[in-house]
Amino acid sequence: MIEEDLASFIQSPVMQIVGTADEALKPEIGRGAGAWASADRRMVHLVMSAWQWPGTVANLKANRRVAVTFSRPADYVSYQVKGEATLRSAEPDEIDRSGRYLVDMVSTLMRLGIPAEMIAPWLSNRDPFLVSIEVSDIFLQTPGAKAGTRLWSAAA
Amino acid sequence: MTLSLLDLEACFEGVVPSIIATADGNGVPNISYLSHVARVDDEHVALSNQFFGKTSANIRMNPRATLIVVDASNGAQFRLELTFAYSLDAGPLFDHLSLQLDATSAQVGMAGVMRLRGLDVFRVLRIEAARSTIEPERKASPQRNRLAAAAHVVDLIAAETDAEGIVDATLNGLKTWLGFEHGLFLALCEERQQLVTIGSLGYAPSGIGSEVEVGDGVIGAAAASGNIVKVSDMSRIRRFNAAVRDSSSEENRTRSIVVPGMPDAMSQIAVPLAVAGIVRGALFFESRARLVFTREDETALSIIALHAALALAFSERTSEEAESERRARPSSPATDKGIHVAHHRFDDSVFIDSTYVIKGVAGRLLAWMLEQHLANGRSEFTNREIRLDGGLRLPDFKDNLETRLLLLRRRLEEKALPIRLVRLGRGRIAVEVEGRVRLSRDGV
Repeated sequence: MIEEDLASFIQSPVMQIVGTADEALKPEIGRGAGAWASADRRMVHLVMSAWQWPGTVANLKANRRVAVTFSRPADYVSYQVKGEATLRSAEPDEIDRSGRYLVDMVSTLMRLGIPAEMIAPWLSNRDPFLVSIEVSDIFLQTPGAKAGTRLWSAAA
Repeated sequence: MTLSLLDLEACFEGVVPSIIATADGNGVPNISYLSHVARVDDEHVALSNQFFGKTSANIRMNPRATLIVVDASNGAQFRLELTFAYSLDAGPLFDHLSLQLDATSAQVGMAGVMRLRGLDVFRVLRIEAARSTIEPERKASPQRNRLAAAAHVVDLIAAETDAEGIVDATLNGLKTWLGFEHGLFLALCEERQQLVTIGSLGYAPSGIGSEVEVGDGVIGAAAASGNIVKVSDMSRIRRFNAAVRDSSSEENRTRSIVVPGMPDAMSQIAVPLAVAGIVRGALFFESRARLVFTREDETALSIIALHAALALAFSERTSEEAESERRARPSSPATDKGIHVAHHRFDDSVFIDSTYVIKGVAGRLLAWMLEQHLANGRSEFTNREIRLDGGLRLPDFKDNLETRLLLLRRRLEEKALPIRLVRLGRGRIAVEVEGRVRLSRDGV
């Protein structure tokens, strides 16, 4: 279950990085372009550019396994969720939501002193897909002694 | 175009966090930011391993990893396919990265939290640029030939014979040939474990006489470790000393001079000045631009710092023997104006007409010269006799009398005081007094 605090965190302007692996166990990296928790708090929905991150999309189609880390750039507070994902083209309202996230994220990074032209290569929702993750585990990943602590598991 | 690790220098500055993905033996992925990626050689990178338990465990079960690094000058992303090679927890590379991590994490208020436990070294199998909706802006960096620049600066240093000339040749040479506009030359006062500013470039006030504790900040870390310490983007670093104070009135109260600095510096570098492996001081430069100091600059600065340190040590030796030929002394204007000099024995601080001048050995030297002047009218002294006078309680190591005299001379000049020091030639100085001195000890 995704607690309310974590649900708000995921929806706030935090950086979203996506890990997958192919059948030969070669890992792949992508970036998310907007995310939110489902109403029943069991899933995380995430918009991704299939154009920018084709390897990630191919892996998700092949084996569904995914890890996503959400990290707040101002203080490095980070959480990782793991689970199995389904994939489809994003709907217009999901694309709108992604667009609002991109604007918020650029503003947040600019307030931290990062120039807009530097941020642009990181954030894209071109050819947007919706990744819907059935969450199996949640970990704390903020740098420090407690990094890696499991906060919740569906198996428990 | 085939990319090599050499093309990615701006990705390894620790400015924009890198991303690492791994997978366990069952293909369950793990993804994490990591603070430091360093280039080991043309084929290997080292990743800091502070608390990435899962990443470390995964690469031991499945050695494949993928890394995204970001060019800190334009945001361009590069994807690296890696395979785990070996771990390191000691040696020069480990020490170098550990120091960088300590210096930067202390400045973001995470001292101790980010201690480097180990380095995982990976072989790079493939490098490619990530797709981007915009073409990252290529900033043309000025092509400076740093080897030629270093040779020019070393030439300038080698032409000098005294501490003042060497300090100025170093700072001015770096300005002319490498374009560094704001910097400090600091000498180590071993008895206090402090670095004292004896040369200053581009700051007003100059900060001559200001002190940095060994181990403190970028400068102190370079002196404590004997290694270069560099910060390439300070935009997220908390500013502790943002308030620019009225340094003169503060000085009189605190008996310490504020270290000059740019409130909006983005890049800083400190280079140790060492002779025969022993740190004797440090050079410091800063800039408002990000990523100013490159690896080539580090190399050039290392060469220049070694020469400056050697030249200073050599000038100390030669100043033992005073030049027999004296230069003509400008005569002091005759005036009866009273000058009150207060010498506080507990810290050897000296105040002239209530203005703080200096403390420590330099303060003791000034009080001693004035005492001699009052007792028998002498105003000329040689380094040799200063060193031989037991009453001065000079520290055992006699190697930096020249830098202390330079510090004293510059402080007196900067404060425009009626007492000056004049260099009469190698190993010989004169104290010049515009008025009648009254010397009081311990403020009495």
